[in-house]
Amino acid sequence: MKKVKIYLMLISAALMSPACMDDYDEPDTSNFLITSQESVGETNTTIYGLKNKYSSVLTNNNTFQQITTDVIFEGVVCANDAGGNLYQTLIVRSIDTTQTAGTDAYDQCISIGIKNTFISPYFAVGQRIKVNLNGLYIGNYSKVPKIGQPYYTSAGNLRLGPMLLEMCKTNIELVGTPDASALELVPVDLTDQTGTNWLTNSDNQTIYHTPMLATVRGKIAENQGGQALIAATGTLSGDVEPLPKIFAPEALYDAGYGVDRTLNLELASKTLTIRTSTQNDCSFLRLPSDTRSYTGQLTYYDGWQLTFRSVDDVERYQELQ
Amino acid sequence: MNRLLLLMAALFVGVSAMAQGVVEGVVVDAATQEPIVGAAVTLGNPTAGAITKESGQFSVSVAAFPTELVFTYVGYQDQRVRVEGPTTNLRVALVNQLDDDNSDFTFTESQLDDDNDASQTVTSIVSNNNDPYASEVGYLFSSMRFRTRAYDNQYSQTYMNGLLLNDMERGNFSYSMIGGMNDATRNKEGVAQHEYNRFGVSGVGGASNINVRASQFSAGNKVSLSLCNRNYKARVMYTYASGLKQNGWAFAGSIGYRWADEGVIEGTFYNSLSYFLAAEKRIGSEHGFSIVTFGAPTERGQQAASTEEAYWLANSHYYNPNWGYQDGKKRNSRVVRDYEPTALFTWDWNVNDDSQLSTSVGFKYAMYSTTALGWSGDAYDPRPDYYKNLPSSVFDVYDASKNNGEYLTANPYFLDQYNTLLDYWKSSKANRQINWDRMYYVNRSNLANGGEALYYQERRHNDQMMLSLSSAWSQSINMHHKYSAGLFVNTTKGMHYKTMADLLGASKYTDVDKFSVNDYGRNSDEAQNDLRNPNREIGIDDKFGYDYDINVTKARLWGQYQAIYGPLTGVASLSADATLMERDGKMQNGRAPENSYGKSGKAKFMGGTAGAMLTYHPGAGNYISTSVGYSAAAPNARNSFVAPSMQNNYVDNLKLEKTFDAELAYLFRFGDFSGKVDGYYTTFADQVEQTAFYNDQQSTFTYLTMSNIEKMHCGVEVALNYQILSSLSVHALETISEAKYTNNPLAQISYEGMDYAEVSKLNVYTTPTGEVVPLTVIADGMRVSGTPLTALNFGVNYNVSGWFFEANINYYDRVYVGFSPYRRLTSTYKTSGRVYTPSSVDNLGRLGYEVTKAEIKENGGLLYDNSGQLVKAYAAHQEKFDGGFMIDASIGKFIRLRRSKSLSINLSVNNITNNTNMRTGGYEQNRDDFYYSENNGVYTKGEGKAYRFSKNSKYYYANSFNAFLNIGFKF
Repeated sequence: MKKVKIYLMLISAALMSPACMDDYDEPDTSNFLITSQESVGETNTTIYGLKNKYSSVLTNNNTFQQITTDVIFEGVVCANDAGGNLYQTLIVRSIDTTQTAGTDAYDQCISIGIKNTFISPYFAVGQRIKVNLNGLYIGNYSKVPKIGQPYYTSAGNLRLGPMLLEMCKTNIELVGTPDASALELVPVDLTDQTGTNWLTNSDNQTIYHTPMLATVRGKIAENQGGQALIAATGTLSGDVEPLPKIFAPEALYDAGYGVDRTLNLELASKTLTIRTSTQNDCSFLRLPSDTRSYTGQLTYYDGWQLTFRSVDDVERYQELQ
Repeated sequence: MNRLLLLMAALFVGVSAMAQGVVEGVVVDAATQEPIVGAAVTLGNPTAGAITKESGQFSVSVAAFPTELVFTYVGYQDQRVRVEGPTTNLRVALVNQLDDDNSDFTFTESQLDDDNDASQTVTSIVSNNNDPYASEVGYLFSSMRFRTRAYDNQYSQTYMNGLLLNDMERGNFSYSMIGGMNDATRNKEGVAQHEYNRFGVSGVGGASNINVRASQFSAGNKVSLSLCNRNYKARVMYTYASGLKQNGWAFAGSIGYRWADEGVIEGTFYNSLSYFLAAEKRIGSEHGFSIVTFGAPTERGQQAASTEEAYWLANSHYYNPNWGYQDGKKRNSRVVRDYEPTALFTWDWNVNDDSQLSTSVGFKYAMYSTTALGWSGDAYDPRPDYYKNLPSSVFDVYDASKNNGEYLTANPYFLDQYNTLLDYWKSSKANRQINWDRMYYVNRSNLANGGEALYYQERRHNDQMMLSLSSAWSQSINMHHKYSAGLFVNTTKGMHYKTMADLLGASKYTDVDKFSVNDYGRNSDEAQNDLRNPNREIGIDDKFGYDYDINVTKARLWGQYQAIYGPLTGVASLSADATLMERDGKMQNGRAPENSYGKSGKAKFMGGTAGAMLTYHPGAGNYISTSVGYSAAAPNARNSFVAPSMQNNYVDNLKLEKTFDAELAYLFRFGDFSGKVDGYYTTFADQVEQTAFYNDQQSTFTYLTMSNIEKMHCGVEVALNYQILSSLSVHALETISEAKYTNNPLAQISYEGMDYAEVSKLNVYTTPTGEVVPLTVIADGMRVSGTPLTALNFGVNYNVSGWFFEANINYYDRVYVGFSPYRRLTSTYKTSGRVYTPSSVDNLGRLGYEVTKAEIKENGGLLYDNSGQLVKAYAAHQEKFDGGFMIDASIGKFIRLRRSKSLSINLSVNNITNNTNMRTGGYEQNRDDFYYSENNGVYTKGEGKAYRFSKNSKYYYANSFNAFLNIGFKF
């Protein structure tokens, strides 16, 4: 009987699985921040003020300089990388309602680069942020005013690139919670004749108007008439783009891993470049042949260029998926 | 009586001849004085021998006196008795090895704690009790994960009750299936390659047969408690054996538990139960039926290798990037769950004194899984030691052209960023570990915006169902000749799939391939992991990603013959086998819609082995033996498919793997001085190896298979022992070996997110003159990694009054890093600008190149002449780790108590000098240093990034000072 008990004990023990040790409670993330837990200081300038003060490094292509004092500004995130088409980039916009609408001082945007492939969860659209530039760099990347840190591109060029994510901990503060109704989220409407005239006026090709959040309207030239059936060959890849055409086929990638399409403006015989990164949802949208409105980050280099924030920036995008 | 083995009888031949007679007596257990049934009694000259009967009695005829009788019994220490003349009352007491936990590690602790990680292999040991080298090498060098002769584990076979239990998919034996069963698996017989045995033809790595028949356990109870600072902190085991009862029944059982809330490596844990149950019934003297079942449900957190930079930042060579804080509690991202319940049924039939048949049937259902973090292609790599998170990603402090005053004055920003990251890493332990809270935060943020899980924890399953049968016949023809023969059949179904372990705060995940979404679009067929269930929403425990079976069936016929002619003993062995394998896809993969769902069709291989061993016995205690063997074996199924998680295609160039081996050994005894010296030479041809890794350069999961591999292993092994006093001896164990690749194997690469048509373009290489040739890996000269090719030992043993003491000093050197085939692909050489055509020709017609010899030896490269002929191929340099010393010691006391009870206490301390700089292994990162931009097939060298992948391999280090205290009580 004693032995039987022993066997029973052995069998019982054998059938018992050890209690699971890989078991955890879900964490409370309501106070999680990658940004500063405390104030980065009192705001002492505006984006407009920054552009005035550092105009020289913003104007000369691909120059930058380090800021070594507490230069602090505020703005609202109006574009981020949630859609995958902007890379390591926030567009921060500030509308100063104390200024006269239409003046440069009223509405300004600046690009902030952050080295992380998905920063939108920390910086939602509509989120107001305060940035202390002490230790960071201001300059431009292909004439787009930008805040970040220097880096070497994959082609080996020294450029103003994204700041280390760790810098957010000391230099950026979230102010309040995201506000979907913020004035800064309303794109500048350039679809009408006034807007079209604005686009074609070379006086507007200044650092005060790049970047900006805007909407334009027109037809994609590459998908008009017989062009729609002529597949282009990529300069770098040597591959032929697939048909029907999409915004950014891999075959046509350039040195910046993007593809340019030409928008014939609806109300002027002028064009604008729509630049789309490869390998995101925007890339695979079919090129429309009709006239549509497009919203996104508008920048100027040697011509105007629009980059969607996400597929939502393309009018009736569902038809193109 | 077939469970009793007349081992090595031929090796112990007596020579003098003075008189004939009979020796009779009894063999008993030294502790219990109970008779031992079935012990082998052999003479030096194996023309005579006997097996002890029910009462432990034996009777042997001796042709000449004096002679030496050798008494062996599984689980007991061998004993030699010199007999001067005929006698009828010789009493021999054998010491049960169970009484001495520390002196007999049948398996080393490292084996039984086998992490089963592909990245950190375990020691391969065939412990041959009759071989002074093989019997010691395993445990002496286990700290450095020494593999005998640098062979892969698949070349060592492990049998249990005569049934081969090596995994038919991977080839190796899973030591974790018997983890924590030290007492239950102690009865073990090891044989060298081509050595005669009764369970199967042994491979180049030798073979072991664990005897788990209940009657083979000495009767009694044993409890042991162990405390240590290794993978686990505490172990408790209880073993009971009834011994063979009068009614023919025998029972044995063992249960153990190993535990650590945190192992010696931070962030790991250990939680393992083990059980073993055996019953045996003998019917008369002819039949024995044995049934055994065992298993070890285990859960453990894993360690990962990291770079020297990360170790430096963490100020420890034992930094583990696998864990991080979740809500303040340490959580490991890679948790193994392993449970391989196994059952064996064995029928032993003693047809007569000369003929035995042993048949075993085994069944195993293994459940093995490991978790890993997964993330959407949009999300940031969450691994803390991902290269972009490290200071060296922004500034190379070892680059003298940049780390100088002039450069830094002009370009201060990179050193600033370096220091930012340096401070971040050093300021807080949490900063250098996984940030679980951040992943939860990102997922919840994305969920709030209508998105799904960007981060998740997946569980990768490698389950397996195995049914196997083995039957072996052994026959003594006469005193000089015997043979054994048998058949073996195994059918194994490997089930490979992954499930969702944790959505980390999100509520859903769609089963699409994240890489293909970027390459082909979210709405493409290519994005689908299963076209039959597109865009399936995945919840916890749902299968996703891949799901396939690998089915393998193997049958083998084998036979061995031993003949003795005077001082010569010859053994010949032959086997023939057939292997069938196929993949059975359970998902229709969007990248391979035509060849992923359903069965691949069977691949068939017919192989075999031939081996011979000749031993010459010139005089007492001296034996010279030589062996030679050849085998042609089917490749492992796990390496035979191009990208098994995706499609059915077989690797090109699949052939039988050929092995040739030869050995010459001298076993000697001169008075108190004994030992063994051997030299061996082994070649492998047509091997197939596959690596699967996340390809950071191409941003995709990648399979890279090398085929047509040729290797050469050779070396010298020495074991010496000098008995200074009866209680004091010194020993030395030395290995100096070579193990390297001897050709440039063919290569086949496959990207997870790429369709078959695109993948096929990757597997060719175009020479500078435009000739398209097969893709190869420049591997000639690369060393086999992860084991010391030089290992030297000197030790001392002292035993007195039940105390024993042993100390060893070991020196290890020539451990090599696991080389990256990807970095040495001819196509990688091309895209990184390491293909050179002549830039000049001197007066003597010698070609000049725009690369120095030092550069090409360091980085690798291909030199061509002007006609496009390859002049020379250089493999990129493979790192050799620094050698060093480690000192181990153990002390123990065996206390015999009343009424056959005993107590043993052992303390082992390893790495006494706390040498924390001994690398046991590691691997190169699968990414190239060079950053070239392509322009329509033309590559232009860029400035390059700071991070040097070639200088940042990942390493494992041998344990720091550690101790193992074991207290055993036998009653």
